[in-house]
Amino acid sequence: MRDVSFATIDELEAGLRSARYLPERGLATALYLSLALEKPLLLEGEAGVGKTEAAKALAQATSSRLIRLQCYEGLDVAHAVYEWNYSRQLLHIRAAQEGTVSEQELFGPDFLIRRPLLEAIESTEPVVLLIDEIDRADDEFEAFLLEMLSDFQITIPEIGTVSGPRRPAVILTSNRTRELHDALKRRCLFHWIDHPTLEREIEIVGLRVPGIPARLAGQAAAFVQGLRRLDLAKPPGVAETIDWAQALAALGRQDLDARTVEDTLGSVLKYHEDFAAVRDEALVALVEEARTVAAGAV
Amino acid sequence: MRSSRRHGLSPPAPSEGGFVRHVVTFGRILREAGLEVGPARISDALTGLDRLDIRNRDDVYWALRTTLVSRPEDLESFDRAFAAWFLRSPSRPPYRGALPVDKPARLSERTRTDRSGGVDGRGDEVTEVGWSLHEVLRRKDFAAMTPEEFARLSRAIAEVAAARPVRRSRRLRPHSRGRRLDLRRLARRSLARGGDPIERTFRRRIHVPRKLVVLCDVSGSMEAYTRALLLFLHAVVGSGRGVEVFVFGTRLFRLTEEFRTRDPEQALAAAAKRVVDWASGTRIGASLKVFNDTWGRRALTRGAVVVIVSDGWEREDPALVAREMARLQRAAYAIVWVNPLKGNPEYQPLAEGMRAALPHVDRFVAGHNLVSLEELAGVLAGIERRHAA
Repeated sequence: MRDVSFATIDELEAGLRSARYLPERGLATALYLSLALEKPLLLEGEAGVGKTEAAKALAQATSSRLIRLQCYEGLDVAHAVYEWNYSRQLLHIRAAQEGTVSEQELFGPDFLIRRPLLEAIESTEPVVLLIDEIDRADDEFEAFLLEMLSDFQITIPEIGTVSGPRRPAVILTSNRTRELHDALKRRCLFHWIDHPTLEREIEIVGLRVPGIPARLAGQAAAFVQGLRRLDLAKPPGVAETIDWAQALAALGRQDLDARTVEDTLGSVLKYHEDFAAVRDEALVALVEEARTVAAGAV
Repeated sequence: MRSSRRHGLSPPAPSEGGFVRHVVTFGRILREAGLEVGPARISDALTGLDRLDIRNRDDVYWALRTTLVSRPEDLESFDRAFAAWFLRSPSRPPYRGALPVDKPARLSERTRTDRSGGVDGRGDEVTEVGWSLHEVLRRKDFAAMTPEEFARLSRAIAEVAAARPVRRSRRLRPHSRGRRLDLRRLARRSLARGGDPIERTFRRRIHVPRKLVVLCDVSGSMEAYTRALLLFLHAVVGSGRGVEVFVFGTRLFRLTEEFRTRDPEQALAAAAKRVVDWASGTRIGASLKVFNDTWGRRALTRGAVVVIVSDGWEREDPALVAREMARLQRAAYAIVWVNPLKGNPEYQPLAEGMRAALPHVDRFVAGHNLVSLEELAGVLAGIERRHAA
């Protein structure tokens, strides 16, 4: 049984909020069900909508340890699950020159190096396992994961099957650089995270950038929402809004003006073409709009 | 928490019994709409609903969506079905069969014999007297073939497609001439020798096929070549993982799934059903933009060899073509442009779209007959450096 449990979605929402994360109702429901049904949750969405943050917040809200596995191409069992401590093994064989070393001894728990997945499975304390950017790993690894996520156990040929006293909560994130295997998706609940609404984004900025003037928070959020409506190569996510609001707050601004925006836009837009699209009149108009919208929203 | 969990289907309270049936029927509607909703998902949905207040419509919506949908593409169908079934919106929207199936049959009938001037063939019959019939056929412009000739050639087209560009993987495999010690095997083998690593084992990085993204123009001006090129693409998809196929005319469509079927005719028929604007106009720039925005942003292009098949007749905005080609080029490993018109020795890239695109193209090849497809396959297999021309 989980040490911190939530009887309702509202309770979980409050827990996430105290971890400084504001989920939309849909995400809160998905996380709640993932815990209640003990099924992994696959989170997808544009870059910067807070997929990874959701897992971190869940760990904090449930007083669990966060174990993160960052996926990359070529990720294999030796880096994700376990590896044998070869140098120790070799030394051990040498040290026992006279006696004989049995294979069983050599491939026992003492010589095992635990990587994130094994650690998460074996853990006796509550764990949130974050498998980040699963789409970057290759098919072979996905196939392995499939096995692990269905039984929550890992087979090590030399030792046998390892499983732990409790199932970790599992969050997978994907940027959809490729389609994941159907079988893997079948094991998971799924939630698509959208960009937040204006009101929610203002709230998020207020929560994540303490001390920011309310009006500035509103204007920054409204400006970014305006940017998302433009036809940009890479529309900014909430992560960018927070970064930017932090920059604005650090500069001691009270109000958004075209000059400040131009100087700090680098924390919001990451592509040269996008800079070109948000210049001069376009920028002035966006700032104007943001100020009006924010005046209505705050 | 776990102990208190009731199992989904078992004892539905009288008032909830109807609800369970509701959800099961809803699952069937979703399946009709094309979602993959198996019994396991239905059971998850019911167990999930069991854990929350089903009087809250929003929570019911999110719980069903989380448990029954697995791809963002299906969200729209789900929303429609949810509105129709649970919210009883007045008219049930059509879930499928709504796609205008304009000209599905035409694809299989194509390979025209009557050609409308303009792009002239190469008069192969005259210049290549004395060659075997097969050799003549190999060099014959696809547009000039009779259906019988084309049928004879289709297998050869598929055979050409096997060659793929490769890249070095980060994965290691045992290899006798590898550089990195395979410590796992080393430790195991030295067990018998008192810890002396007498027999050393190595691993090295292996080569795997490089991602390949194909964007094929199926607009009217390409019609004479589309069938041959699609057959070629079908075979390319069959060559292994990591191939994505898109077609465009006025809009962009992803056809990778359709092309996964073994039988090329079946694949082409499935493709024709999906794509609504075969043989209409071309919006190359706009289509590339959609590709860059939705697929490029998800890094599909990064490190990939991108093949664009088009005659470059942009109907709208050549400047947009240039801009989107530049974006594509920055992400891609190499860009190969296949233009069937280039088969004509007198061809000049006069089409504005083509001119705009060329500065961003690494290889520019023809693809109007079997020999040029073989060349294309050679080009694809031979790409070894980023943006190598």
